[in-house]
Amino acid sequence: MQTPKVTRRTFLKVSATAGAAAAAAPKLLTAMEADLGGKDFGPVSGAERKAIPINCHVCNIQDGAIAFVENDRVVKLEGNPEHVSTRGRLCAKGNAGMWYSYDPDRILYPLKRVGARGEGKWKRITWDEALTELAGKLDAAIKEDPNTVFLKYGRNRTGGVIDRFMHTLGSDSILNHTSVCESSKKIGMEPTWGPDIETPDFANTKYVLNFGSNVLEASYFHNPLSQRVTEGRVDNHMKIVTFDVRLSNTAGFSDEWIPVYPATDGAVALAMGHVILRDELQDSDFIQTWTNVSVKELKDHYKQYTPEWAEKISGVPAATIERIAREFATTKPATLFTYRGPAKHMYGSYNEKACMMLPIMTGNVEKQGGYCLPRGMGWPQPQPQPPKPAKHAYMNNHRHPHYPLAGHGVGHLLPFHIHDGTVRINVYFTYQDNPVYTNPGARAVWGKLLKDEKLIPYFVSMSSHMGEETALADLILPDCPYLERWEPESMPNSLWPWLGIRQPVHKSLGESRENRVLMRDIIWKLDPDGKRGMKQFWNFKDGEDYMRHHFDNVPGLKEAGGLNYLKQHGVWPIYGKLNPATGKVSDKTGREIKAEYGLFKKELSAADMMGASVDGRGTIMKNGKAIGVKRNGRNYVGFPTGNRLINVRIDEWAKYGFNPMPTFKRIPWHETMKDDELVLTTFKLNVHKQSRTAAVKWLAEIAHSNPMWINTETAEKIGVKTGDLVRVESGVGYLVTKAYVTEGIHPKTVAIPTGFGHWEYGRLATLKLKGKKGDGSHGEEDPDLNNVWWDDKGVHPNDIIPAMADPIGGSQAWYDTAVKVTKAGPNDKYGDSHGDWDKHYAYFKEGMRYAYTGDMHRKMHPEMASWAGPDSVKHEEH
Amino acid sequence: MLKHTLAIPDEKAGVGETAAIFATLDERVAECRARATVYRLLSGAFIEEASVDFLNALRTPDTLAQFAEAGLRFDSDFLQAPVADLAEALSVEYATQFAASGGFPPVESVRLFGRYKQEPNFQTMRTYQRHAFALRPGRHEVFADQLGVELLFVAELLDRVAAALVDGDEATARKLDKEIKRFWVQHLGRWVRGYAGLIESASQHSFYREMARFLGGFADEEIATMGLAVDDADQSKLVVPKVDVKVEFDPNEPVCNGCVGDAIARQDNVQALHDLR
Repeated sequence: MQTPKVTRRTFLKVSATAGAAAAAAPKLLTAMEADLGGKDFGPVSGAERKAIPINCHVCNIQDGAIAFVENDRVVKLEGNPEHVSTRGRLCAKGNAGMWYSYDPDRILYPLKRVGARGEGKWKRITWDEALTELAGKLDAAIKEDPNTVFLKYGRNRTGGVIDRFMHTLGSDSILNHTSVCESSKKIGMEPTWGPDIETPDFANTKYVLNFGSNVLEASYFHNPLSQRVTEGRVDNHMKIVTFDVRLSNTAGFSDEWIPVYPATDGAVALAMGHVILRDELQDSDFIQTWTNVSVKELKDHYKQYTPEWAEKISGVPAATIERIAREFATTKPATLFTYRGPAKHMYGSYNEKACMMLPIMTGNVEKQGGYCLPRGMGWPQPQPQPPKPAKHAYMNNHRHPHYPLAGHGVGHLLPFHIHDGTVRINVYFTYQDNPVYTNPGARAVWGKLLKDEKLIPYFVSMSSHMGEETALADLILPDCPYLERWEPESMPNSLWPWLGIRQPVHKSLGESRENRVLMRDIIWKLDPDGKRGMKQFWNFKDGEDYMRHHFDNVPGLKEAGGLNYLKQHGVWPIYGKLNPATGKVSDKTGREIKAEYGLFKKELSAADMMGASVDGRGTIMKNGKAIGVKRNGRNYVGFPTGNRLINVRIDEWAKYGFNPMPTFKRIPWHETMKDDELVLTTFKLNVHKQSRTAAVKWLAEIAHSNPMWINTETAEKIGVKTGDLVRVESGVGYLVTKAYVTEGIHPKTVAIPTGFGHWEYGRLATLKLKGKKGDGSHGEEDPDLNNVWWDDKGVHPNDIIPAMADPIGGSQAWYDTAVKVTKAGPNDKYGDSHGDWDKHYAYFKEGMRYAYTGDMHRKMHPEMASWAGPDSVKHEEH
Repeated sequence: MLKHTLAIPDEKAGVGETAAIFATLDERVAECRARATVYRLLSGAFIEEASVDFLNALRTPDTLAQFAEAGLRFDSDFLQAPVADLAEALSVEYATQFAASGGFPPVESVRLFGRYKQEPNFQTMRTYQRHAFALRPGRHEVFADQLGVELLFVAELLDRVAAALVDGDEATARKLDKEIKRFWVQHLGRWVRGYAGLIESASQHSFYREMARFLGGFADEEIATMGLAVDDADQSKLVVPKVDVKVEFDPNEPVCNGCVGDAIARQDNVQALHDLR
């Protein structure tokens, strides 16, 4: 037989005609990277690795994830393809999550302080010794006043365990971190339409107004939402317009980046509302039917907010405001998203409210491609539960006497109240918190407070890592990182609600204990025989047993298998299968699953209406609660507010002398800023969160320093170029850092990323080896650091940012600080950072003048001249 | 140093051979037991905080004299402190150096991989199980590849070697001897010498400084005596030299906008990023 002669010419000819046959040939091999995920194989053994579904908890997006375990060790993390929101994708932070577990700086044993607070001298003690000492302190404190036992948490995803713990002790002194996070966004939204956040339907929209969110990288739900932003842009050809002081990567991805003067987003939004109402572009039917104001009221109110007025305040040209307003109102569907940009200001709640009015007045609410309500799921608590404490604390996570509308607390003001003696502490607990680093004033305020043994006699940190706060503790109880603990989850991070879990992927390292077990053990030590009535609330064997109480009886999930189902899949329900071609979740027919819209238009059933009554405004009341609203003869469920409507006018705000209608207040000191003053803002990079990621090697290698962004024109004025040292001075302190000169920032603003410049959090975060030799106690001599190729750990800005609170929402005014920036002097050195307690205290007092009880409140609200003053409502204090 | 301390006679064998073949049975048994004692002693120093009993046993005049003869130079913080105070001071030093954030955990996974619970943890556990050992917590939980546990394991094997020799079971003794060598090559030999140097320089108490010196010297001695060729890969010796070249990005710049473009990349003294990977 003669072998055919195959030349390049002949095989190319064959290939030109045989394509169909080749396509029809069986394909038994596929590239693994093109596969759906959910499986992984050891490169040496070839054996399939054990896949354990979890919820990621490096940050708080709560992505569905899978931990691949080989030899009882996590070797890889990736997205869970069965998770409807995150659809098999994890961000860089999520991929690096196992570093928390195996970090050589992790705390594995109970540690008792033996030197001065913060000196870094510890003694390892047994759990029994730790619990015995702690129980003694708690016993004494409870006998004196249970509210002197204080617990402040940072990230609390325990699903109710902390409240259970503190209520078991009889204490109401529970404080969160929300005021340094997003409280004024929440308070801008909650009284208006119920929930504290929106779910923009990016994937199906045609137009996005983005006020101050870096949704592609860092804002809430950045992973699931950035997927939808990309789909909207690519598949739906949507336009995106970003208002931001800084050219974030989201702003860069946008069709238009419009730099706006800090804290003036609300003015721009109001002026856009003015244009929409003036030009009759509003959805009158929606306003009349679903809000508590008429179109006429709204038009009359918005007349004052002209684009020219907004231009003077924000620097955004009136013509741009006019154009964008018309584009937004005439493009259907359209949506809007905000994050910290508008909200983290002295009057952030007003800004947030002004922004959310745009989708409301254009009727884009709860429509495909519109501005949707969040979707979430709940779970029951194990029974019995401890009763709520009889006596209110002075301040906690939803109460402060000077900030009665701040339903998420004003936690960042706590040090000043402890200093003043209004809050008294016997035992101070901290859980996953680090205000010495993350709060305004940082070490100048919180560091000083927590070092003071008279004000904080006993300080207990429940932590897996030695953060700046934990380093000051008297007793450290080793908590488990997220891969080693049980926790219930549900997050409204897409239009499909879900329940999920975190579950231990292996035995916890060392002697660390997960939070619910740790707290149970404290209670059991306090009440070993149950005679004090405490133990009954902690009657569970372990974390898994506790989770069964949560999940084994949830309707629907129960039939699917309850907790066992979640252990196997990580999430419930599973809506469909991830389609590798589209990256979307499809049903059995291959079609993308569709979200449900118009939630507020669901009609109440006859059974629901049994025994209900309808008041004059159409609110349907049953058993003293509003369950719906009657509109056009139909009984709808409406919005989850007190009257089941969208409250454009918030009467509760008026009671405290705040403007109940959408409005804007300029930051008083911004109006009087001198030419050489700038506004200091901060931001997060995509690979870090506020505090806890600096110790993660993979992430630290990607980003480890944080030069200050400054506009080209501004930098030229002071003679600074990229890399030069600059001195940044605020009213409470100064720091010295490097400049990064760029056109990508507003000329009147400078911006410093957070998450850098640690002085604790382990050897990698502090890079102490790189500095002069210290006392030998913090890894200064670890030669492993020679493998770290960078010398620069960055400079933390919070020492020089004063604590001020939004008088409505309670939010820290992160982006309002006026600073002077100059070239560094001969005595300035990189990394200098100094804040002054007295000056911080003076700023705190100044901020209190803007609270409803303060003298500046009236001056800021001349339109509320008829308000009867603080004494008229003080009796209503919660 | 160690041979002198333990009165072990000079071996007559060359490098790569053991002295055992020239020694009497009794000498071989005695040597095994003596070595096991040193392993246990060092294990006791590093496996957890030193107890009062342990310290009392160490501070007997005879033992101190032996230590001195072996070249260990304890300071007054160890020699003269009341034992309760000494135990307290050492517990603080132990936590600072070995058990609290920022210290140097005496754990092979950390020293070789920069993190807890990596492959050595599982390999050592499998080895212990293969020899029918179970790891139980003492005063605290410990990892399988913790220094004290690894040393204790060799001590146990040496006891078994001695027992086999007494029983005339030369085959088992040889097998166990090989196991010890294998364990040194796979584990102890890869990290304890560098680690001992690190603790010697970092410790602020003469007890740990001198016990680290003892550990380092003992390790050298054991490796030489067993004729092993194993490089220390502990990160205290593995120093990555800095490359003195310009790269296409400036580490001091933000991660975005860091590239300086093609023009500068074409310059001769600029190395492309991919070349450095």
